[in-house]
Amino acid sequence: MNFESKLRKTFSNTSEMLDPEQFINKLTTARYAQALKRSQAISGYLAMVVVLVVGILGYNELDQGAILMEGSYYYSTNIISDQDEDSEYFDDLALYIIEQEEDIWMAFSFLDEIEYDKIVNLMENES
Amino acid sequence: MKTDRELIQEFQRGSDAAFNELVRKYLDLVYHFFQKITPDKMEAEDLAQTVFIKLFKALKKFRFESEFNTYLYRVNINTANTYFKRNKWRNMLHLDQVPDPGYVDTSQDRQWRKEEVWAAVGQLPKKQRLVVMMRISQALPFKDIGNILDMTEGSAKVNYHHGIKRVKSLLGNNK
Repeated sequence: MNFESKLRKTFSNTSEMLDPEQFINKLTTARYAQALKRSQAISGYLAMVVVLVVGILGYNELDQGAILMEGSYYYSTNIISDQDEDSEYFDDLALYIIEQEEDIWMAFSFLDEIEYDKIVNLMENES
Repeated sequence: MKTDRELIQEFQRGSDAAFNELVRKYLDLVYHFFQKITPDKMEAEDLAQTVFIKLFKALKKFRFESEFNTYLYRVNINTANTYFKRNKWRNMLHLDQVPDPGYVDTSQDRQWRKEEVWAAVGQLPKKQRLVVMMRISQALPFKDIGNILDMTEGSAKVNYHHGIKRVKSLLGNNK
């Protein structure tokens, strides 16, 4: 017996059959499972893209300088840069009010009412 | 009884029943092909399933440039080749289990196990592996093998000659 015939003999006892109907059922299930997996992968990919886009847009928006002031967020690039200037202006305004008001306690209570306690604290410390 | 062409055309028009008819017609051929490649029946069934899933996708665009039979063999061969690549390390382990040539029974009656043969075939370069696979498992003529693998009959013969020589040495039969 030559080598090729001997090799073929190795495979000669393979003649089992499969039940075609059972196989077709399994095949259909496998095809649907694959299609489902594919559609899930596509949905996942799309969701990822949406999250990424929203994330990038959100980041850009927040990067404009969102500042929490008195419980609300304000979006302005000017707030931070103008903060010192504003503070000086309010200090001057507070001093003017204190000087002009005959009843200093009225002035203090007004400043307290608008929650401007910087000058009040300062004067308390000085006294 | 409908021809393959008619069934494929019906399938392309949306009839899954026509595809199932093709499955019934070719299931034995496909399953026996993989039964010869793997000792595991479940694995053979899984590989057959892979072939039909590939066909389900591919036949929708089939343009009848080749015979369906030839096309089916190509899908079988490609699936088997992927299986070999995936199991290369496992095949190598099987090959390690082949007895040392110094102690092997070299008598004419020595019969190999399927795993031993495929472990050796799995070590061949791609072209040789495909030709040897088709020749020893399907006993196809070189002309058909060449046709399926897109090579000349002569090239199929040469690849087979080199491949079988290597398998012989790997299996420890130098006679």
